[in-house]
Amino acid sequence: MDENASARLTRRALTVAHRVGLFLAMLLIGLPGIWIVLSSLRPTVEIMAKPPVWIPQELSFDAYIAMFSGIGKGGIPVLDYFRNSLIISVTSTVIAVAIGMAGGYAFARYRFRGKSGMFLGLMLTRTVPGIALSLPLFFLYVRLGIIDTHIGMILAYVALNVPFTIWLIDGFFRQVPKDLAEAAQIDGCTRWQAFWQVEFPLARPGIASAAIFAFLTCWNEFALASQLTRSVNSKTLPVGLLDYTAEFTIDWRGMCALAVVMIIPALTLTYIVQKHLVGGLTSGAVKG
Amino acid sequence: MKGFKPSAPFLLLLPAIIVLAAVVVLPLILSLYSSFTPFRLTRPETFFVFVGFRNYLSILSNADFWWAFGRTVLLLTIALNLEMLLGLGLAMLVEKATRGQRILRTLMMFPMMFSPILVGFQFKFMFNDNIGLVNNALQSLGLTQDAIPWLIEGHLAFIAISIAEIWSSTSIFAILILAGLLAMPKEPIEAARVDGCTPWQTFRYVVWPFVMPFAYIAMTIRSLDVARAYDIVKIMTDGGPAGRTELLWTLVGRTAYSDARMGLANAMAYFSILLSIAFTVYFYNKLAAARAQIGAEW
Repeated sequence: MDENASARLTRRALTVAHRVGLFLAMLLIGLPGIWIVLSSLRPTVEIMAKPPVWIPQELSFDAYIAMFSGIGKGGIPVLDYFRNSLIISVTSTVIAVAIGMAGGYAFARYRFRGKSGMFLGLMLTRTVPGIALSLPLFFLYVRLGIIDTHIGMILAYVALNVPFTIWLIDGFFRQVPKDLAEAAQIDGCTRWQAFWQVEFPLARPGIASAAIFAFLTCWNEFALASQLTRSVNSKTLPVGLLDYTAEFTIDWRGMCALAVVMIIPALTLTYIVQKHLVGGLTSGAVKG
Repeated sequence: MKGFKPSAPFLLLLPAIIVLAAVVVLPLILSLYSSFTPFRLTRPETFFVFVGFRNYLSILSNADFWWAFGRTVLLLTIALNLEMLLGLGLAMLVEKATRGQRILRTLMMFPMMFSPILVGFQFKFMFNDNIGLVNNALQSLGLTQDAIPWLIEGHLAFIAISIAEIWSSTSIFAILILAGLLAMPKEPIEAARVDGCTPWQTFRYVVWPFVMPFAYIAMTIRSLDVARAYDIVKIMTDGGPAGRTELLWTLVGRTAYSDARMGLANAMAYFSILLSIAFTVYFYNKLAAARAQIGAEW
């Protein structure tokens, strides 16, 4: 009986330790986000207070209202940045996914010489650090006259996204059994028809998540955007965030509010795709 | 596969190749060329002066550059190793949880949704010596009276940046390792337990080899994007104080755009590109080896 009792005690202690560890880990992960949301709702006086005010005395949406009420009141042209971000991200995502589908299909369904070399080569173009790529791009864009334009940013982001999109979509097409498309072809479909009628619908959730991933990459990109954009013509939200720090003082509250505005679309989209994303990346890692 | 024209996959890959050639490869050739010139943005005629390896030689004898290079490698080593360990721990904690798996997994992915620039900004805010959360908490708890100059003192700033980097990327490791743990068949673990393995042995010889490919996938993804630390550093300290947190990438940016010395910056950029490629190829090979080891089809 004694042994039983001590075993039970050990088990209970382990369970409690596990719960505590889990709670602490999640707290550390969630804390920065919570702090930003909270700070965006508090008046600046309270943020700056010494000694710190821990329990918020008053909460308001003033920072958000100021931000969206235009230049002069909010300080920075958030609406323009928002529109630029949206146009650039959506357009380049659509193009990148179209190119990625063709490429991913080629990798998933055909055998050809130099396949793995080709795959690695595509991936390597993605490793070029944004800041290193921005130097020659900046020079070229100035020459071509597409610096500080939507076209220039879209072009750069398509190239940025294509390798990873191919990797993801390749993974999703692998999960669709080859036999299905072959059966359709035996029944008289052309390869083209078999793709659109059989393989594409099955891989669609995966392709959708690849698209969302590409969108988020564009939405969040900073290193390239900070050099290739100059004005409200093409500045995106991540670059716009810097407007709050341009002065000697930093408007922490306004920055927090803009941060929340940037996170919300990302948060929603990531939540939708999380399951497919992991599936696409790990397909082929293990059999079955 | 007979009956298809051998050119079909190449036709399908053609758009990708064209785009990447135009936006990545061509500019890189241009920047390779300009790394052999004393090109300055302010003096366009210098673009056609050829100086051979002078830029590279001046980099090799530049102490600032080697400090930045060493610091970048150090940051990556520390960050990647800790992210791997913490990610593994987090994945195992979540896997063990009996209730609320869905919520836990969503929470775990939370940092992945933050763009690096936001990570940099929020940690700049939290580590602010005057109004930051960290100092406020330390002072309220009575652990210290002074405001600790987190982003102002060199070593502390490096630590703060590492923390930001680790916070933002641990979840990639955690989510992929968790996928590995969940995909793992339970029989080998039970067999190992029946055969008298200690928990540590079970983990080391049964679980870990199975999870390893997933960890390498995470490593490969991370190494595709190591330069995202640029965004974080740019916001948090911008290489300061006095260049103590200067990384390769911030140095390239400063040389190119603040000093307008494009030729020299391009030469530096090539070092950073080679560094990224080395990381990626290394982990890609590891990934292929780990997959071969557990007999997965590639």
